[in-house]
Amino acid sequence: MNNNSNKMFFLFILFFSTLISISSNSWFGCWIGLEINLLSFIPLISNSKNLLSVETSLKYFLTQSLASINFLFMILIKFSLLKNFDMNNIISIMMNSSLLMKMGSAPFHFWFPNIVEGLSWMNNFMLMTWQKISPMILLSYYFNKNFLIFMIIMNLIIGSLGGLNQTSLRKLLAFSSINNLGWMIFSIMISENLWLFYFLIYSMMIFMMISLFFLMNMYFMNQLFINNMNFFIKLNLLINFLSLGGLPPFMGFMPKWIIINFLLINKFYFLTFIFMMTSLIIIYYYIRIIYSSFMFNYFKMKWMNLLMKNNMSLINLSSFISISSMILSTFIFM
Amino acid sequence: MLIYDIWFLFIYMFFVGNLIFVSKNKHLLVVLLSLEFIVLSIFFFFLVLLMFIDYDMYMLMAFLVFSVCEGSLGLSILVSMIRSHGNDYFQSFSML
Repeated sequence: MNNNSNKMFFLFILFFSTLISISSNSWFGCWIGLEINLLSFIPLISNSKNLLSVETSLKYFLTQSLASINFLFMILIKFSLLKNFDMNNIISIMMNSSLLMKMGSAPFHFWFPNIVEGLSWMNNFMLMTWQKISPMILLSYYFNKNFLIFMIIMNLIIGSLGGLNQTSLRKLLAFSSINNLGWMIFSIMISENLWLFYFLIYSMMIFMMISLFFLMNMYFMNQLFINNMNFFIKLNLLINFLSLGGLPPFMGFMPKWIIINFLLINKFYFLTFIFMMTSLIIIYYYIRIIYSSFMFNYFKMKWMNLLMKNNMSLINLSSFISISSMILSTFIFM
Repeated sequence: MLIYDIWFLFIYMFFVGNLIFVSKNKHLLVVLLSLEFIVLSIFFFFLVLLMFIDYDMYMLMAFLVFSVCEGSLGLSILVSMIRSHGNDYFQSFSML
């Protein structure tokens, strides 16, 4: 049942639900947007002919519905106790917890790698990028600073250490997504514009990675070096992975640089240390993948030549953007 | 006479609903029922809240519509699971 117009209908409602949620002028409208989000995402991912897909959609439904029901209850308690302006109390902790559970952030992250493992690449792209917009913007409306800093530290550590023992590419990107969530939540506390900047660059990088894996139909790490990939595809993989890890001079370094700048100017030294060390662990396991893809098992099979397909121009363009965007961005001010 | 002890009832109902949701059950339907129980507790809370401030009940109706939608979505996922697995036991989850 591919390529039917059901998906387009639900996709439209998905986009609309996020807009409802972030532009409403009451917390109840935010909850309505989150509900419509759940209602329209489940038909996109569920397929009753497939056992794995049924289990995935069930787990997704259970966690997300619990989170949004808790969110509504906390909204009502906030309304009844008239705590509209004081953001550092226990009500904001509870509201933030339910939003963090919606996003898949630690310590409520246990469903996220499982569900990412069960979805196809395009559904994963939707889950990792679009589904995070609405909870994060709602988080920026009413957050508890100390609680969020603690959650950020947990996100970074779990995202980096959790990906060390993975062989599935989807789970690897899931833990990388949890780690990047830590950076994004911190950028919310700095400035909304910075969050938007980080989020756009992150979703662009994830799109490049996922489109590469989708075109090559790769789901596991051994598929990276066991087939006969073209040199340019491997180079693109290298650039995308290093950009996602936040290495200069690639595009992924720019938002992290701005956040580190803020951290150091405002003397958040311990937090800077944790950000840096967890980034190092993530770059370690990216380089481990690329290293074996480039050098170790260098198969050159004769019967399965993966030549440059006709839709590889997008991938070449994306590599060019990843490498040169840092330098080109300095030309804005000329 | 204003009785403020009613607030404890809402929090207790909500907490018990959450407790059943996270407990180890044999059937999926129990989990969905606990979700509906939480919705019921929120409905009650919302009703009493709106009555205290002499407000109209339109928001309550909108809440009811959306929570019923969510309940029916849960049931449709239950049906999908029974179609593929044959039952709704939690022990038949083996893939993830």
